[in-house]
Amino acid sequence: MSDMLISSNERENKMKLASKISRPVNWNKIEDPIDLEVWNRLTSNFWLPEKVPLANDIPSWATLRPDEQILTMRVFTGLTLLDTIQGTVGAITLIPDALTMHEEAVYTNISFMESVHAKSYSSIFSTLCATTDIDDAFRWSEENVNLQRKAEIVLNYYHGDNPLKRKVASTLLESFLFYSGFYLPMYWSSRAKLTNTADLIRLIIRDEAVHGYYVGYKFQKGMELESPAYRAEIKAYAYDLLLELYENEIKYTADLYDPHGLTEDVKHFLHYNANKALMNLGFEALFPHETTQVNPAIMSALSPNADENHDFFSGSGSSYVIGKHEATKDEDWEF
Amino acid sequence: MEKPKDSTYSYHELNAMLNLYGPDGKIQFDKDRQAARQYFLEHVNKNTVFFHNLKERLDYLVEDEYYEKELLDKYSFEFITKIHDYAYSFKFRFETFLGAFKFYTSYALKTFDGNRYLERFEDRIVMTALLLAEGDEQRAMTLVAEIISGRFQPATPTFLNSGKAQRGELVSCFLLRTEDNMESIARSINSSLQLSKRGGGVALLLTNIRESGAPIKKIEGQSSGVIPVMKMLEDAFSYANQLGARQGAGAVYLNAHHPDILKFLDTKRENADEKVRIKSLSLGVVIPDITLDLARKNEDMYLFSPYDVEKVYGVPMSDICITEKYQEMVDDARIRKAKISARKLFETIAELQFESGYPYIVFEDTVNRDNPIAGRINMSNLCSEILQVNTPTTYNEDLSYNQVGKDISCNLGSLNIAKTMDSPNFPLTVEAAIRALTAVSDLSNIASVTSIKQGNDQSHAIGLGQMNLHGYLARERIHYGSEEGVDFTNIYFYTILFHALRASNLIAKERGKTFDGFENSKYASGEFFNKYIQNEWKPKTAKVVELFKDSNIAIPTQKDWEQLRDEIKKYGIYNQNLQAVPPTGSISYINNSTSSIHPVASKIEIRKEGKLGRVYYPAPYLTNDNLEYYADAYEVGPEKIIATYAAATQHVDQGLSLTLFFKDTATTRDINKAQITAWKAGIKTIYYIRIRQMALEGTEVSDCVSCML
Repeated sequence: MSDMLISSNERENKMKLASKISRPVNWNKIEDPIDLEVWNRLTSNFWLPEKVPLANDIPSWATLRPDEQILTMRVFTGLTLLDTIQGTVGAITLIPDALTMHEEAVYTNISFMESVHAKSYSSIFSTLCATTDIDDAFRWSEENVNLQRKAEIVLNYYHGDNPLKRKVASTLLESFLFYSGFYLPMYWSSRAKLTNTADLIRLIIRDEAVHGYYVGYKFQKGMELESPAYRAEIKAYAYDLLLELYENEIKYTADLYDPHGLTEDVKHFLHYNANKALMNLGFEALFPHETTQVNPAIMSALSPNADENHDFFSGSGSSYVIGKHEATKDEDWEF
Repeated sequence: MEKPKDSTYSYHELNAMLNLYGPDGKIQFDKDRQAARQYFLEHVNKNTVFFHNLKERLDYLVEDEYYEKELLDKYSFEFITKIHDYAYSFKFRFETFLGAFKFYTSYALKTFDGNRYLERFEDRIVMTALLLAEGDEQRAMTLVAEIISGRFQPATPTFLNSGKAQRGELVSCFLLRTEDNMESIARSINSSLQLSKRGGGVALLLTNIRESGAPIKKIEGQSSGVIPVMKMLEDAFSYANQLGARQGAGAVYLNAHHPDILKFLDTKRENADEKVRIKSLSLGVVIPDITLDLARKNEDMYLFSPYDVEKVYGVPMSDICITEKYQEMVDDARIRKAKISARKLFETIAELQFESGYPYIVFEDTVNRDNPIAGRINMSNLCSEILQVNTPTTYNEDLSYNQVGKDISCNLGSLNIAKTMDSPNFPLTVEAAIRALTAVSDLSNIASVTSIKQGNDQSHAIGLGQMNLHGYLARERIHYGSEEGVDFTNIYFYTILFHALRASNLIAKERGKTFDGFENSKYASGEFFNKYIQNEWKPKTAKVVELFKDSNIAIPTQKDWEQLRDEIKKYGIYNQNLQAVPPTGSISYINNSTSSIHPVASKIEIRKEGKLGRVYYPAPYLTNDNLEYYADAYEVGPEKIIATYAAATQHVDQGLSLTLFFKDTATTRDINKAQITAWKAGIKTIYYIRIRQMALEGTEVSDCVSCML
């Protein structure tokens, strides 16, 4: 960042830190209605991995070839790593940057759910795999250069001092980096494998879609306060970071999917999601339309809407929500 | 792993394109048809075992123990050739990818290694017809025509298993009583294992089990109530499955006035402790009228200890009409009780339904008022459409039977309403279905659970269901739940009932035999027929008059009913129960129907099932030009669904699986209001509550049909 351009966000933050007055959050006075809308959505989407009968996938897991099982475990350790970062570092570093107290509250929710996601992968592991295999997969994730590089890039920005850049990093993580991993369970589910695992992943996707949207939205709000020159700088930075991550992501994708001949297909999926991440940040798409033609089976499987009609006896589905309580009145009981 | 080819799409991808708009903004129906074709070319044809002729095929299948020899031996080879050619002469083609995919994945006979197909759709139908015709050639031919034309479709266990040498039972559905003693609880778990192993679902009545904290051998605070029993059952069901074909599935029913009712419901909470959480067991609550009445007055409701109730009345709690005895029990000091707010209970039920879709509801007093059979109905089954009387079983000290009671099994099959309306012979279509279902009852012999065997031997109960109501209405350009839609439903079910009774009467005449206890039924007294003889039932709208006229279907008159009543009083009917309308999942895809008599869940349905993965299914008869008639269940809303079901319910002796659909803007109050409306309309049971949550604006996948329509 050049010395000439001082972010007003930062100024505000510094002032906030200086004043140090503790204020209670007042949900009856909403400054930004999106905060409440997202809070309501996140809380009604609350779930825990125990709700999904993962054990029903055991027979299906056994039908995967050994190399397919290894791929699946590696993909999930990769996702675990990202969710660990997001839950314990990412969402939390966004809190001090919050413009409203309600925004802070939303980040705490996001942070908690990311930890639920990280734990969910462990539920998948412990249900489907033997401990030694799990350990091998974790070791792989610690030793894979491209995965580690991905974590390092994102962590750098989380630890940096620029709130807008942090939000860019976070949005790219939520809306882009997860998807090379999400591809696989969707692929399996479209082929009638690991369908309960896919349900669980779909719950995660449902959350990540909201997280990416929200952080992106807050980024755009933050940008509005900035000068055009500074906005241009941040925008250039966002594209640079995306390309840096993209380059690394392609290598990571190749590491995982090359032996299975799926890399090209996953790339299309990455392009689609990269564009989506940029859209969340309020920027125009980077990858041309032809290169974002996602395999229709994956595309359709991705829909975060809770409108699928599942067979209750073999799974719990990904569509239930926590309800809004309202007492009945006397007139409802007239008979 | 299958790698997508560069230039052509795989059948899964083509099928998924059904859910994405084409470049012209229209639904790509042709892609689904391509998917079905591609599926045969790429997969089915390549993986089907080839035989030179029918003889070679049958010899091989019998010798290698794929087909039952005894079944084929009932017919001459000439006849088998003839019926086989007849089946293939229909030139059957699957209408959708999902139909074909579902058939080959779940129903077709495969080699023992599971890799290659030994049957086509026609072959499965022939085997089913040969089995259910019990050696009668004419009946076998009729059944082939009925099934392949899509008019009648036997339920999954029958269609899946008929004629196979290695198979589960033909029956899909069992209901067991559990009494308040360890012998009965242990027997229930044993029976659940045995029945799951043989296919289909098991529902258990837990109302009679003493509550947590009740005394055991007079020592207070000893019993741990119904939750641990549910836990054991859940484990039992997940252990047993039908040769891997179907996961074991179970439901438990509890009366709303059982003291464990809130604990029972809390097992489905999102944040329930692992020790009490119930994941895969379905829950149902049995609600008597008094509960609604107390809620209306906003009073507390008393919960009664089943242990004390049984001591005081000498019969288990499930065999008492709570509504009738409520005040008496409240005043009886010998009965331990607790109280909760009645409205609060309904709110809790609705909260749980938001979170989990459960519990089902049985309106106990409505069910018993409408029951033509002597005895008491106190529970339902896994899909909440079976409603039959039962009696308890008692045991000796060495665990042998003291007195074998009567438990329930029910075999199902459904008519496709659109195809049945197109039938060249409507009465024969109904009769063929009733005879086929009766054959399933005759052929069933569940020796491992004596009370089930006894129930089936005595009652010959069957459940004729219906599906494709919405598909039919849309095809005829009628809106679901409109005045015409409800009018049609009423007259259709009215006409079906007449012919179902007529067929059962015919069987009783032929065999000189009725179900046990016919003489005590409202059929024998004639009371059942009063509403049809004293009132005239006819279409109220010109459109429905026209539909029946165009289909050449005579609507039974009061005179017809008088005649039928007299015949039935004289000869009886063979089946204790005749109709039950199941939710029809799998079979409606094969049959190209909309499920049951529900509105469609979506114009393009996303179907997720253990064995299928995620696949897409277009509503039957849907085109880009008639989209307006396919308002989905969430748009249709609970009132119209309830009105449609109420019109059907009055002509159905058992129940109908009624799911209510809500948008995510609904609150628990909206659910409660719908439940009250349903009860007032005479609905007997409520199955699932489904909530649709749309993606937050800005997070949806663009160009997706199921999101946007």
